[in-house]
Amino acid sequence: MQARDAELGAAVARAQEGDEVAFAAAYRIVQPGLLGYLRGIVGDDAEDVASDAWLEIARDLGRFRGDGAGFRGWTATIARHRALDHLRRLKVRPRATALEQDLLELPGAYNTHDQALESLSTQDALRMVAGLPRDQAEAVLLRVVVGLDGPAAARVLGKRPGAVRTAAHRGLKRLAQQLGVGGVTDEGPRTLGESG
Amino acid sequence: MGERHGHGGSSDRRVAHPGEAGRPDLGELLASAVRAETVDAESEARAVAAFRTARDEGALAARTRRRDDWRPREQRRAIRSLKAMCAVLLASLTLGGVAVAAIGSASDEDGDDQGRATARPSRSVPDRPAAESLPGESPTLATPDPSGRGRASAHPTQAQDTVAHCRAYDSVKDRGKALNSTAWQRLVTAAGGEDKVAAYCAEQLADAPRNGNGNGAGTGNTKQPGATQGPASPATASPTKPAKSNGKP
Repeated sequence: MQARDAELGAAVARAQEGDEVAFAAAYRIVQPGLLGYLRGIVGDDAEDVASDAWLEIARDLGRFRGDGAGFRGWTATIARHRALDHLRRLKVRPRATALEQDLLELPGAYNTHDQALESLSTQDALRMVAGLPRDQAEAVLLRVVVGLDGPAAARVLGKRPGAVRTAAHRGLKRLAQQLGVGGVTDEGPRTLGESG
Repeated sequence: MGERHGHGGSSDRRVAHPGEAGRPDLGELLASAVRAETVDAESEARAVAAFRTARDEGALAARTRRRDDWRPREQRRAIRSLKAMCAVLLASLTLGGVAVAAIGSASDEDGDDQGRATARPSRSVPDRPAAESLPGESPTLATPDPSGRGRASAHPTQAQDTVAHCRAYDSVKDRGKALNSTAWQRLVTAAGGEDKVAAYCAEQLADAPRNGNGNGAGTGNTKQPGATQGPASPATASPTKPAKSNGKP
């Protein structure tokens, strides 16, 4: 990820001088994580919202200052604003999301780790993330899927780093329990129902 | 294609060999599941086209807003404090320039506009008698520029103030209380320090008679300050009073 950030930073710097090939390179590095994050927030509309976000990113690229890691944070902030705009529009014209409907059909705890890993599809993972409280879901997605560090994720969300760290930790722990796998490195006291 | 999802690629390897680290890392698991596998070529083309348009419109030169600055915090803070320092420096230079320019323009006015300049000191510097001499003088002096006259009697120009203060300064300077009044403070500030007042006043007083000599009334004018010094000297008995009436237009 860090080597990738250096590459991204160089691409962004060249794009800011007008190099469109470099801009395309930056797009290819950032887009998978950005799209994953948006899927977690707006579901199937993620592609459209991402397109909107990239129009803004392309337009404002000259304003950006920072390195590769900073560019991830900057683009995530823009994408998040577009996603929140999108959700506000949906509120005016409500529509049941597929993610919420399928929540009850979550895959149960797996028998073995291998089984969990092999069968965790994108859809399953997104359902699980969508089942988290909003702040936890966003914190997990920004940290894990977009690849931001704690302070950057906090800046994107407009919250204190401590609050975001806690939210990400709780979210991951909950997901781990659902999946029946370990992997949350920072082991806190495991109590049920402490979410939120 | 494998390159297109760098992070996903490494996770795929982990997924293939979950046993190597004992437990699979949930973060990597999630990342590989949620991150987009491939980048849609059409979306990429649209983004690049938008970039090209923005670039050709000169958008790359846009100014950085605070929310666009993602440099590491220390760097950001250092730059911000540097900017603040520059702003303070610039502001002080600007204000200093304005002050100097104000002094310059006031004395210019004396030189250029002699009709007004000579009329004013005689009426405005001696505070009370001005009201009496006004009706007598106004027919001749007021007709060309009534508004100017009105302003002149109400607000003596700063240069004339300065000259008047300079004349009175010698007799007042040893009384600490008098020097604390607003008018004296202003004089000291304009001079750039208490020890520079003498030099500053010498310069101002040297300018004043030169203006007066320009026309016939000038002789009256050069006398008039002499008369002003008369009232000013008694004024030392109650030093704050004339200072107030002159200093607060």
